[in-house]
Amino acid sequence: MAEISDSAAGDGVSREEFTSVMTALEPDQIVSAKEHHHCPRRDLTGREKVVFWALRIYLIFMVGVVVYQIWTGVR
Amino acid sequence: MCGGIFFLTFLVKSMKEPKTAADLRGGSALESNLLSRENDAVVITHEDIDRAHDREQVSASRARRGLRPRLRLFWLLIGPGILVMLGENDGPSMLSYAATGARFGIGFFIPFVILTFLMACVVQEMTVRLGAATHRGHAELIFDRFGPFWGWFSMIDLMVGNFLTLVTEFIAIRAGLGFFGVRPVVAVSSALLVLAVALMTHRYWTWERIILSAAMFNLVFVPVALLAHPDWSAVGRAVLTWKPLPGGLTQDTVLILLANIGATVTPWMLFFQQSAIADKGLTTHDIRMGRVDTVLGAFLAAVAAVATMLATAPLFLHHMAAANFEAAEFAQALRPFIGYWGAALFALGMFEAGMVAAITISTSSAYAFGEVARRPHSLNLPFRQGQSFYLVLLIEAVAAASLVLIPGIPLVYIVLVVNVIAVLAMPPALLFLYMLVNDREIMGELVSPLWANVLALGVVTVLIAAGLLFGISVVAPNALALIGGK
Repeated sequence: MAEISDSAAGDGVSREEFTSVMTALEPDQIVSAKEHHHCPRRDLTGREKVVFWALRIYLIFMVGVVVYQIWTGVR
Repeated sequence: MCGGIFFLTFLVKSMKEPKTAADLRGGSALESNLLSRENDAVVITHEDIDRAHDREQVSASRARRGLRPRLRLFWLLIGPGILVMLGENDGPSMLSYAATGARFGIGFFIPFVILTFLMACVVQEMTVRLGAATHRGHAELIFDRFGPFWGWFSMIDLMVGNFLTLVTEFIAIRAGLGFFGVRPVVAVSSALLVLAVALMTHRYWTWERIILSAAMFNLVFVPVALLAHPDWSAVGRAVLTWKPLPGGLTQDTVLILLANIGATVTPWMLFFQQSAIADKGLTTHDIRMGRVDTVLGAFLAAVAAVATMLATAPLFLHHMAAANFEAAEFAQALRPFIGYWGAALFALGMFEAGMVAAITISTSSAYAFGEVARRPHSLNLPFRQGQSFYLVLLIEAVAAASLVLIPGIPLVYIVLVVNVIAVLAMPPALLFLYMLVNDREIMGELVSPLWANVLALGVVTVLIAAGLLFGISVVAPNALALIGGK
């Protein structure tokens, strides 16, 4: 059974609310747990980096095309 | 109780449940990390208490047998999927569908739009699994897993796209209410007021129900379509044969093609649905219902989209082209065919489309900002605790609304390019999603199966091909002839 500290209980969280959170939420749903434990970073492989950059260049190029279309449209 | 953050320390060990998400998916690195730190002090917030209350109701319904508890469970769990799909039936989307019906009538674009909603289902299903498995938003996962360099790229894409889209939502709001003679400043201010009032609930569940109710008004385009007396045999033929496509493949057709794709699959949808699922507290047990929610939302949105095209098809038959998006011209042009009340419903639909989307899109920005800035981000937060979340949401909406009121701003061009930009920004966003949902370290056994990956890659291929087709049509329009165009 979980322990409720006196000071914490005094802050206004009732025993019912405490029990409710404990039983209804999964461990990694608790906000403070999520704040303290983030997903570890992963290293991208060379191939993944190439795909990431290719799509980034594609996006920049295509936005240029949109700007060109607007420019010709306005003219 | 609602005043501030309430603290309570306890041992993480005691939080273990008989069957957790980690148990179900074979234990992810993230969850192992959490569970291994058994002596860490954890703080309970107001947000946790609200979410736990919602989850208790879900558990109670799930524990009972029979039709009523099943229906209750369905009612409790639906929301993010329907909201994201009907939210994407937004101002520029409905204008795209209206322009499509007016420009091409009943034909190729009816089955094409249905196909785009199937594509949206494939994409959004991945966010359901990702959100339920990790309980984290999309922006947070991108930052954590791929680092700030790629994280900021995706955030800039999202924020720029969201802001431009928000501007168009207020254009739709202004145009919709303009039909009834409401002055632009009054229309835009009223919309901002509605947005702020919805936030005042400080409760995800209440907010979701209010916006869901409003989103249902998207189906107002169905009676408008019926008033237009569509040729149902032509609709049937179009669905079966994907024909006709008046004018063939031209630069104009490609633009409409891209606008219609952008009307159903856009980056903000990924961010919104995953964050909403985390905020609602869905778990791996709810994935099946999350899928039902998404498919139901896509179905309702497709019905509204097709209805809009059918509603404006009389303009095509009578060779009337509505080009000025700023003056609710569609509704006015349709008045001779569907009467005043039909036109009024159409204008009301435009207002609703802009209103719901303005709320969902600004919320997706606020979620993403909070996740990246490590600030509280939940619709369950009281204002004082979630100040940055609510302020980002409101500031973005106010800035977009103000832009619409500036005289001389080329609103027509903004409307036209918003959906196109959404399609162009989608492949990089989908790559992040694809990699995350296939990441065994965070997804465990819930990684995408082969069929889901094939479908996802198919969607990416279609989006890139559509983008390149658009590029060719702009840079070298004559080259369209090489692929059967004009």
